[in-house]
This record gives sequence, C-alpha cells and structure tokens, in this order.
Amino acid sequence: MSILEARELRRTFTTTTGVLRRQRKEVEAVRGVSFDIAEGELFGLLGPNGAGKTTTIKMLITLLLPTAGSASILGLDVVADAREVRRRIGYVFGGDRGLYERLSAIDNLRYFAELYGVPPREQRARIGSLLELVGLAGRERERVEGFSRGMRQRLHIARGLLHDPALLFLDEPSIGIDPVGARELRRTIADLRSEGKTILLTTHYMFEADELCDRIAVIRHGELVAEGTPEQLKARVSAGSVLEVELLGVAGAAAQAHADAVCRVAGVRSGTVDEQPQGAVLLVQVEPGVDATAGVLGALAGADTRVGRVVTRAPTLEDAYVELVSS
Amino acid sequence: MTAGATRALRVLWVGYLLQLKILAVNAFDGVLNVIYPLFFATCALLMFSQSGDPQALVYAALGSAVMGTWSAMATSASGALQGLRWQGVLELLVCAPTRVGLAILPITGALATVALYSFVATLVWSRVLFGIEVSVASPLGLIVAMLVTLASLATFGFLLSVTVVRYRTGWALGNALEYPGWLLCGFLVPLQLFPEWVRWIAYLLPPTWGMDAIRAAAAGGDPWRDIAICALVGLGYAVLATVLSERLIDSARRHATLALT
Amino acid sequence: MSDTVGATATLRGIPAAWRLLTVGGVLSFRGLFNWLNPYIYIPSLLIAPIFQILLFAYVGRAAGAESDSFYLVGNAIQYASIPCLFAMANTIAGERWTQTLGIVLSTPANRVALFLGRSIPVIANGWFVALFGLVVGAWVLGVPLPPQTWAGIVLCVAIASISCTGLGLLQAAVGLRVRSTAVLGNIVFGVLLIFTGTNVALDAMPGWMAAVGRWMPLTHGIEACREVLAGASLGAVLPVLARELAIGLGYAALGLLALRRVERVSRLRATLELQ
Repeated sequence: MSILEARELRRTFTTTTGVLRRQRKEVEAVRGVSFDIAEGELFGLLGPNGAGKTTTIKMLITLLLPTAGSASILGLDVVADAREVRRRIGYVFGGDRGLYERLSAIDNLRYFAELYGVPPREQRARIGSLLELVGLAGRERERVEGFSRGMRQRLHIARGLLHDPALLFLDEPSIGIDPVGARELRRTIADLRSEGKTILLTTHYMFEADELCDRIAVIRHGELVAEGTPEQLKARVSAGSVLEVELLGVAGAAAQAHADAVCRVAGVRSGTVDEQPQGAVLLVQVEPGVDATAGVLGALAGADTRVGRVVTRAPTLEDAYVELVSS
Repeated sequence: MTAGATRALRVLWVGYLLQLKILAVNAFDGVLNVIYPLFFATCALLMFSQSGDPQALVYAALGSAVMGTWSAMATSASGALQGLRWQGVLELLVCAPTRVGLAILPITGALATVALYSFVATLVWSRVLFGIEVSVASPLGLIVAMLVTLASLATFGFLLSVTVVRYRTGWALGNALEYPGWLLCGFLVPLQLFPEWVRWIAYLLPPTWGMDAIRAAAAGGDPWRDIAICALVGLGYAVLATVLSERLIDSARRHATLALT
Repeated sequence: MSDTVGATATLRGIPAAWRLLTVGGVLSFRGLFNWLNPYIYIPSLLIAPIFQILLFAYVGRAAGAESDSFYLVGNAIQYASIPCLFAMANTIAGERWTQTLGIVLSTPANRVALFLGRSIPVIANGWFVALFGLVVGAWVLGVPLPPQTWAGIVLCVAIASISCTGLGLLQAAVGLRVRSTAVLGNIVFGVLLIFTGTNVALDAMPGWMAAVGRWMPLTHGIEACREVLAGASLGAVLPVLARELAIGLGYAALGLLALRRVERVSRLRATLELQ
C-alpha cells in the first residue's frame, strides 16, 4: 500500500537580478519526478547539491506549490487537501535553524505540540517520551541557543514526531554533525523504522543511505536517474570491481591527467580522482572478469609518480552514485 | 463552544505566553522599541513647552505616550515576522495543520503588551523631565480605551505581518508606516490642521479613535463612542487579515518566499 | 638613496590608493549595502524623511513655534544621518557578518584610503537623500526655494553629509565591539534629532544642551542652510560651514584611530570574526 505517490512533479523558479534593468531568469529545479513510497518503508532521495531534493520535499510537505504534476499522501492531494496532509506528516531538516532560540527545548516542544493539534491531555506524556527517545531528557529546560548542532537535530526529530505522523520527512538530518552524534542519530532513525514509521530521507552521505534505506532514488538536475534498493544500484555499476590506487605527491591537474591516461587501458571502464587530505586516490572502474592492475600501473609509470597502496574491492553505493550523477 | 473554537483559543493563549517569554528574554532589543519614540516625544515636548501653554503640554504628553504604541505595533510586527523567516521557523509554522493566523496573532498580541509598557514609561518620562502632570478624570474609561486601542492595533499589526509572509521586503513597509502613523493619528497634531481628505485616512486607523477616547477619559468627557468605533475599526482589520492571510500564504507557496532565499 | 626609494614607493602607492579609494569604495558599497533594493530604498530613504519633515512642520504649527522652513531644513538634513550612519556601520559590520572583515583588514591595502574610499558613496547617498527631502518637502509644504539659494543649499548639504559620515565612521568602529549595532545607530539618530537644533533652535534650549549640540555634526550645517534660505550670501556662511567640516573631520579621525585600535585588540583576542 503506497503512503506517498508523486506523479510528474515539476517546479520552476523565477529569479530577478539587477537593480536598474531587472532581468528575469527561469530555473526548472524539478523536472517531472515520480515515485512511490510504501508503508513502513525508509525511502532515500540522493543527489548532489542543487539537484532538487529539498525542492521536491517542500512540494510534498505543502510548503511549495508544484508548477505541474501532483502528489498524494495517504490518498490526500498535497495541494487541495493541504491542511489534512499537514496533520499526517512531520518535517525535520538539518542545520541550526528552525527553533525558537531564546526559548527552552521544552517550551519549543510545547508550542509546536499546540500547533500540531496534540490534545492537551496527551502533551505532557508525549513530550516526555519523545525527549527520552532522542536522548535529551534532563536538558529540556535549557535554552536552545546553547545547544550543539547534534542536540538541535535531536530536538528537531522530537518536534517532528509530536503528532505521531504517518510519514516523516528527514531532510539531510546528519549534516554537520560529529561522527558519534551522527551514529546515534542513525540509530534513532533505524529504531523509528523498525517501529513501522514510514520515512523519506534525503542525504548525500552514501554509507548512511546504504545502511538505512530500503529503497533509494537518485536525483540529478531535477530528474530521477535511478531507483531501486541499494543492492540494485550497486549492481548497476555493473558486476565489475573497483581498483583503488593511491598516488603520492600528486594532486589536481596532474592527478586528472593520470586518470585520463588510465582510461585508455584495456578493461577499464572509467577512472576518477578522489582528492583526500593525504594525497589523491585514483578510482578505476574495471570490467567484470578483467584484471587490469598491471595495465593501470603501467600507465602510471613515469617520472615523479610514486604509487602507494593498490587495492581491489567490490563497488560501493558511493561508486554507483558517482557514476550516476557524473555521466 | 465548539471543539475547534476551544482549540483555537488555546493555541492563541499558549502562543501569547510564549511570545511574551521571547520578548522578555530579548529585552535589550526591546528597549529600543521604547526608547526610539521617546526621542521624538522629547522633541515634541520641547517644542510645545515653547508655547508656554500647560494644556498644550498635557496634550503632547498624552499624545506621545500613545505614539509609542503605534511604533511597537507597526514596525515591530513586520520585524517579528521577518525574524521568524530568519530563524527558519516561518516554514514550520506554515506546514503545521493550524491556521498560520493563529500562530501570528499572539506575536502582535505580545507586542501590544510591550506597547502598554511604553505608554506608562512615556508618561513617567514626561513627568520627570518636564514636570507634566496628567490628571485622569475617568480611570475606568482610560483603561478600557487603552485596552481597546491595543487590541485594534494588534489586528492592524496582524495584517501587516501577513504581508511580510508573502513579500520578503515587507518589513520595509512596516518601517515606512511608522512616521505616517505618528503624523496622522492625532497624537501630536490636531486633525483640524489637516485637509479633509487626509482626515479620512486618519479615520481608518485604529489609534485615531483610541487617542480621542483616551483624551476624553483623561479630561472628563465621554470616551465610549470613540471606544466603540475603535473596536469596530479593529474588527474590520481582523476580518480583512483573516481573509487575506490564506490567500497571501498560498501566494507565498506559489512564489517560494517562505524561506530566506 | 633611501629617500629616493621611499619617495618612489610613495608615488607609486598613490595611484593604487586612489583606485582603492574610488573603485574599491563603490564595489564594497554595492556588495554590502543591500538597501539598493528599490523596495527598501524608496520607503526608507526617500519617503520616510518627507514624513518626518511633515510631522515636525505640523507639530510646529500646532505648537506655534517656528516656521515651516525651519523644520524643513532641519529634518531634511538630519535625516541624512540615516544613510550616513547606517551605511557606514553596515559596510563594516556587514563585512563582519559575511566574515570578510578579517580578510579585508589583513590585506596590505592602505587603511586610510580603504575606509575613506568606503565613505565616498555613503557621503554621496546622504547628500542625495537630504536634497531629495528638501526639494520634495518644500514642494509639499509650499516653502519657496529661490534659485539664488540653490548653490548655497547644495554646498551646505554636502558638507553636512561629509561631516555626519565622519561620525558614522566612529560609530562603525564602536559598533564592532557592541553586539547590536542597529540599536546604537538608532540612539545616535535620536540624539542628533534632539541636540542639533533640528526642531528646537539652539537658543531656545537649556544652555548645556546647546553646548553639546555645538560639538555635534549637522548643527552648523543646518544653521548655515537656514541662513542661506533666509537670504544670506554664500560667503557669509562659509565660516559656519568651515566649523561643520572641521567637526566632521575630527570625528572621522577619531573613527580611523578607533578602527585601528579595534583591529589591534581583535588581533590579540581573535574576536574580529565574532558577531
């Protein structure tokens, strides 16, 4: 049973620039996006910055009116039945904003509980249990302005769950959070899913999507370029393997030149450079059944090129993603 | 009372208390709301003291006291909404199932409470610096007049805030209305000095009637007619704002102006 | 030998400083002073002053104090303090907000040229705002502005604008340490409103207030402009304008010193990037 159905959603923005001669520019941020989310599913929407993830979400949560197309949540149209839709969804976004800074955590929750129509008799109990769930119990009387990003994020999740929504939208929830905090956040999200909540998650952390999502859609330039389970997407990188070659003392254009050289080796599908702090890593996608190690290393041999570790591994979701969004 | 009405009242009340809390915590910025009109009041009092007429000074003192309430409502209401946009809370208010109006009205209500403080502070200022004593013949009339003025101002401020939801530069409108309000509502300038057509504009503004009522209550005249008209004008703005707010918010969703960019 | 080298370096530095003064000034102005949006500029800087003029002209009529012309000149010039004070403070505080202030101050650019360059568009804007208020206010109130007074008016307003921008520089420096610069600006605006003879003639005020007023910018500019409108020749008001200019330059010098001090202190305590 589909909780959410999106059909050919489109959204265009007009921006005006200039002071004396104002020019109008039209940007089509979302170009015909369609997908379904089944009950109890954790659905991931992946894409680079500016791909249209947030715009798509905002159309689904009734903050933006679509320029064309339609969407329905639990059978209710997001445009015609906006108020009814809002009763049944929760919206959580990453970052520092979205809370009354000068109020305490519990005052924030009390106010939003009122806004979301939580019956007064249930408010105290619900707020209490949510604070426990997100690990903020005992700190609810502190002002939000003193909270770290991770704490704010957890408070956001508590806020989003106040009215027990059927569908929860999480827009890049772990952005800018330290690894420990992010891990706890992911555990909370996983717990929510095992309780049967339906969730739409946007992120550009691949391991997060891989770990949490039942199904993933990849969006690029406003269009869906792929949809499926994480396994299905990895398989699209084809059953080949990935060769990781660590290049020492090489960066930027020189590394890219190596990547281009490597592409001409037999059995190599593509080569990209991953800039790391300690140096560049060459990621070479290799056809299945081919051992291109010797050919690749041969292409790299030359003056001033020192090679570090060489590793062959199976493709990850990140490889699939990179291939999908950069082709 | 229907369940819907009870819930609406609860949202308004809880919202009002929380907004007051926010304003109280933000005292430093709030102080400006009170001080800024005081500069203008001081100028006016200096000017009126040149005339040597003690009645004129009482006129000016009462007028400046109510003048501050206009500032607290007109400028601050739109500023508060813009602040919500900055904090990223405006979007959350819109995608909540409650009518946005019920979330915004408490803000203007809390500002009206600050305005009350401004009223008292200005009267004290006039007393301390210029020795002006304002005697009040009918305290009940004065209090009712003041409360009705504030309530009407709250609905007017509500209308202004709703335009800020749709237009990102709407806060400039609130700023721009500060001076015209001071000029036209009869705070420091008797309406007889204006041409007829200007007077008609003044009659559309709630504080014009509130000011007359307050002066009447202080001087011993009959404030009740003016109080009634003030309440009526305020009600008109409330209706207008309620009708417009849904339209403006839909427009904001169409033109994507709820967020900062 | 070292003298020639030093002199050559200075000479070469002058065109660079000039470019910084002019081009750098305009660019930073447009970048940070987003009041150029017409929906903000027109209500705040063109319409609001007309109402301030009208307000006090009518209060003046109600109180039977001075003539319309008195309040017209006073308020039109006093309102120029909004762009002069806020634009200057915004330019510098705005850089703090976008976190480019540290970057700008760490360039080897000539400090004086840098900040004076930032002042030029501010002065020009203040001058335009005051003139606009004067002309439109005169039209609405029916105050005649005879052609022979135009040169005098233009000069008085220009000098007043320069002078107030000097104060703006000082306020900007102080604003870097204070948390809420908008509050500071509004308070300075209010103080100028009361003490500079905008709405109450200096000799109608208590002695101490008039004394304070004579040390503020705008006071002499307003006085000179009123005299020009009353028929005084340009030569007659030059001494008054000279005093105005001197006061303004004094505040500007204080401002530059304060900026240098703030910069040094912030480098010690690493507070420059904080808001």
